[in-house]
Amino acid sequence: MRLEIGSFKVKDIVFGGETACRGGVLTVNAEEALRVVREDRHITEAELKIVRPGDMVRLCPVKDSVEFRCKVNGGEGAYPGVTSPLGQAGMGRTHVIDGATLLTVGRHWGGFQDGLIDMGGHYQHYTIWGDMPNLVLVADTDELDEQREQQKRNHAIRWAGLRLAEHIAQCIRDLEPDTLDVYELPPLDARGEEVKKLPGVVYVLQPQTQMEALGYNTLVYGWDGNRMLPTFMHPNEFLDGCLVSGSFMPSSSKISTYEFSTNPMIKRLYAQHGKTINFLGVILSTLNPKMEEKVRCVQMAGQIAVAVGAKGAVVAEEGYGNPDVDYTAMLVELERLGIKTIGISDEATGRDGASQPLVSMNPATDALVSTGNVSQFYELPAMEVIGELEALARDGNSGGWEGCINPDGSCVMENNGMFCANHISGYSRRSCADF
Amino acid sequence: MKAIHYINQFFGQVGGEDAADSRPIFHDAPIGCSMMLNGMMPDVEVTNTIVCGDNYITNHTEEALAEIFAWLDGRDFDIFFAGPAFMAGRYGVGCGLVCKAVAARYNVPVISSMNEENPGVEEYKADCLIFRGGRKATFMKADLTLMAKYAEKLAKGEKLLSAAEEGYFPRGIRSEIPAPGGVMAADRVIDMLLKKLNGEPFQTELVIPKTDRIPPAEAVKDLSKCTIALVSTSGVVPSDNPDRIQSASAQKWGKYNISGMDSLPAGEYKTIHAGFDPEAMCAVPDRGIPLDAMRVYEKEGKFAKLYDYYYVTVGTGTTQNYAAKFGKEIAAELKQAKVDAVVLTAT
Repeated sequence: MRLEIGSFKVKDIVFGGETACRGGVLTVNAEEALRVVREDRHITEAELKIVRPGDMVRLCPVKDSVEFRCKVNGGEGAYPGVTSPLGQAGMGRTHVIDGATLLTVGRHWGGFQDGLIDMGGHYQHYTIWGDMPNLVLVADTDELDEQREQQKRNHAIRWAGLRLAEHIAQCIRDLEPDTLDVYELPPLDARGEEVKKLPGVVYVLQPQTQMEALGYNTLVYGWDGNRMLPTFMHPNEFLDGCLVSGSFMPSSSKISTYEFSTNPMIKRLYAQHGKTINFLGVILSTLNPKMEEKVRCVQMAGQIAVAVGAKGAVVAEEGYGNPDVDYTAMLVELERLGIKTIGISDEATGRDGASQPLVSMNPATDALVSTGNVSQFYELPAMEVIGELEALARDGNSGGWEGCINPDGSCVMENNGMFCANHISGYSRRSCADF
Repeated sequence: MKAIHYINQFFGQVGGEDAADSRPIFHDAPIGCSMMLNGMMPDVEVTNTIVCGDNYITNHTEEALAEIFAWLDGRDFDIFFAGPAFMAGRYGVGCGLVCKAVAARYNVPVISSMNEENPGVEEYKADCLIFRGGRKATFMKADLTLMAKYAEKLAKGEKLLSAAEEGYFPRGIRSEIPAPGGVMAADRVIDMLLKKLNGEPFQTELVIPKTDRIPPAEAVKDLSKCTIALVSTSGVVPSDNPDRIQSASAQKWGKYNISGMDSLPAGEYKTIHAGFDPEAMCAVPDRGIPLDAMRVYEKEGKFAKLYDYYYVTVGTGTTQNYAAKFGKEIAAELKQAKVDAVVLTAT
């Protein structure tokens, strides 16, 4: 499978008469863009804003982040099976705007799964979004059935984000990109002898799929991840939009759609392919609420890893708490099968730092990379807010609580509520240590 | 900042083993190695040295602490030092228990130093900062230097780094840090992966402690003759939570009398457990402590007697170390009370 990703580097976003990408600046015609957002009649209110690194601005409640990307040829669209007809992702050419994202923010209502981003101040670099300009869609919907629910599907706003990002990226569809990256991995048996001699490595991704009710989980080509079993996939499918982020799990432990499609772990494994490892592919597994489901997935994923000849594996868990059981079980099973395994996820050490960092622990998991601590206590100064800060306290945000916002607009929160901040995708520049 | 330094009879120049029973002596100025420590800290002044015999502090702890508290009360100090104790076991334990007591009473940072083989490390590392020390007194200067460096940082309000970077034994607390060198997690994974694949040494970022495998007890032979106790992690306590057991990450347990009772009435008992929706268990506390069902079986003669107390803590977030400690303490009491078997209700 061969995928070309053409990147258009941008350093800034501005509003203007014509949506275009020139000289490192993305210009957005807001009126046209909002028309695309309003294609869904459930969107009742929508506006666009631009935030830049260092702006003393707080975004809350953030629902998702999406890369501006479009399919040039060899596929059906940016998110096949979701906003485009179903089709094979990972082949042909895709154009992306590199260095900026689209963020979707609720005008009023947030929930358990939504997060907060600071573009300036002490927490600017706690998320990747503080380091780049972002176009922000702030919207409200008529999804009244879930307006006061802690768990929200956020369907209208999340889908509006996907449509809008793809719409804006049409401006680069027919242009020559600044750089062209080629991602090509032949079938396992078609690889050269030199490559086959290197240790085979699989990336085992456990996206968040624990909600029994549909509409909340990570989507795989539009299919709800709760209804699937582990499967072997090509890394290119991930870099080409086969996954759309779900709307469940405390925010800091989530992986946004932007991160799923730019997955730095997959890119790093690709970079090592043919040099130090033979990157075999991705085992897409799941996270499950029931014990038997956990065991079944671990068993099936382990079997696939053995069948494709893996000698090493990287396991990533999108979440913490209950899914730590799936995470540790996967690491232990792969080690039991003789596969040298590295885990990447975050920790929950409690307000006093003394809690067991993972719900399930096993000494066989001897190589873990830690991306953050959901229990870490953050104190945030008052800042201009895009959205509604009250959502942090009122709507059951996993890192907020009633009374966490002071009258002057400053607030306290747990890491839990900072949008995708632990970057389990691999972008995290934080860790945890013993004190 | 002002500091007080605790040392034993040997380093306090009272004597060797023959003076190990000596009671606390309070010096108005730093003596012995306290002077060396004082000289290492421009921003911290060691004002006094306390000298106490190792046997006295370990064998007569209550009296020794009472004497030390009586002297410390009302005294002005910001930091408390003890040791270094090197490999000396009783000295290490003495430093640990004095530090723990001083921290609890005066809420000041307590700093010690011991060799990793000193039993004081295992016992007190959660309660005070114990720096990694040498095996014997020839390491005095090096060990004091680490202690002094940390106290200087405290005095200057400088950023305190992790246990590994500062050089003390981890206290069982984990906290978020910027990744060393700002390296992205995906790059850290690749580095660890390649080392592991190549059989080279690598350092995990989260050390998983070794687990003990405890063989299960023998099966009960004749239930009809057994005294059975109820033990639980459900967090069901008398409504005022008299022992103030924490709702998560529990650091204590409680025992409550149930003699003459047939159930735990709602309102008088409730769960304080923060790991699940408490509504159903608060409505019927016997869902956590099945007193009602046990009384029925007891009356039917299925077993001889329900023990008069139930034991309870909270399971959520509770560390393995505390859980093991609770288990040992509760088991010792139950054994003493000749309880034959336990029903352990978890959640």
